[in-house]
Amino acid sequence: MDKAEKEAIRDVLAGNRDAYRVLMDRHFGTVTRIAFRITGNEADAEEAAQEAFLRAYNKLPSFRQDSAFSTWITRIVMNTAINLVERRNRDLSYQGPRIADEPTPADHTVRVAGNQASPEGELLNREATSLRQAAMAQLTPMERTAFTLRHMEDIPMAEIAIALNVTTNSAKQAVFRAVSKLRQSLMPIAGGIR
Amino acid sequence: MKHLSEEDLIAYQLHESSSEAAISGHLERCSECADLSEAIAETLRVFSAEPVPQPDLEYNWQRLRGNLSVLTPQRRSPFEFLRRPWAWPALGVATAALILLAVFSLQTHRPHPARPNYAINGHGPLTTQPIDSALANHLDSAERLLTEVNNSPGPLDDVTRQQAHDLLLKNANYVQRARDSGDIADAVVLEHFGRVLTTLDNEPQTPHSTWRLRLEMNTSGLLLDIRILRQNDDISQGVAQ
Repeated sequence: MDKAEKEAIRDVLAGNRDAYRVLMDRHFGTVTRIAFRITGNEADAEEAAQEAFLRAYNKLPSFRQDSAFSTWITRIVMNTAINLVERRNRDLSYQGPRIADEPTPADHTVRVAGNQASPEGELLNREATSLRQAAMAQLTPMERTAFTLRHMEDIPMAEIAIALNVTTNSAKQAVFRAVSKLRQSLMPIAGGIR
Repeated sequence: MKHLSEEDLIAYQLHESSSEAAISGHLERCSECADLSEAIAETLRVFSAEPVPQPDLEYNWQRLRGNLSVLTPQRRSPFEFLRRPWAWPALGVATAALILLAVFSLQTHRPHPARPNYAINGHGPLTTQPIDSALANHLDSAERLLTEVNNSPGPLDDVTRQQAHDLLLKNANYVQRARDSGDIADAVVLEHFGRVLTTLDNEPQTPHSTWRLRLEMNTSGLLLDIRILRQNDDISQGVAQ
């Protein structure tokens, strides 16, 4: 952890909450990306990232600075994102993002994709995205987290295991199961490759 | 030819396999496993290009800031040192040392048994225990000397002063003996008497020296204490008889 982050933490602990902005500027992007990998949508990713930063802030007095803040906040956001996915799965009344002309994150509204791509290309993109999302929806929260963090974020397996509170071998098995399930989901489109 | 499992090939594609060279060699020879490996690679490619939206940092900061309370510095716990690696061995050694010290103290310093006392004349308690005859004689001499001091109109004569000088050494012995036996009441009265004797033995005689001694050393009160000590002695002797 560099000097600027240590100073920011010291200032926050001394009562200056605006000093927390330093840590947010540096890590909010990465944290939101990880949350997006786990939750699969922008609104939930930002909510998980917000919750992770709030939890980290409240636990900052007990944060032992022998590890990096980035490692610590990554672990927190993994847990908050997984919890959010599980909560969404339980909550049958949850509605996904709605379409609006002027979207705002607070209202959970999104705009339909722009018209830069051709109509055919846009259609194919949307179909591919939809297929990917359907395949990912088949995974358990742990499989999805382990797979996306290992494959998309290139986070070491040991670190993923710590964040998920499982052994490294269990985390590996979760990734292997995820890849196998995703391949099975894509088999009809891919022409039945094995 | 024995084929590789799907798990082995997934590990190979994710670079998590411990035998990449062997698997690579097998894939060159086995088309069936090579097809499966390529299908896995294709799956990974499909799921590796998903774009990630960029969050609005300012909006998120303002939203978060409203939920942040002002933190106050956390007071260090008095037991914080127990987290350090040397704390528990040091604590064990210190505890053992304290136990040894306590045992040693009990063996070398046994307290004197407490005795019931009566408080009189503002000088602390006096004993009801019988006293020996030598001490009784000493108290008798002390009473006579103090009677002389309290009633003499002028300076004391040489005989009385010599008597004070003789009693001084004896009194010191009785004070020590009273202390050793734990008889605090006797010790307090005799120490008071010792200060009177020391004054008589050392200070020059003047027309007002005896009067001043009576006033400063409260010799009347001391005489009363000594009479009570003697009375206690007489009662104890009577009970014993």
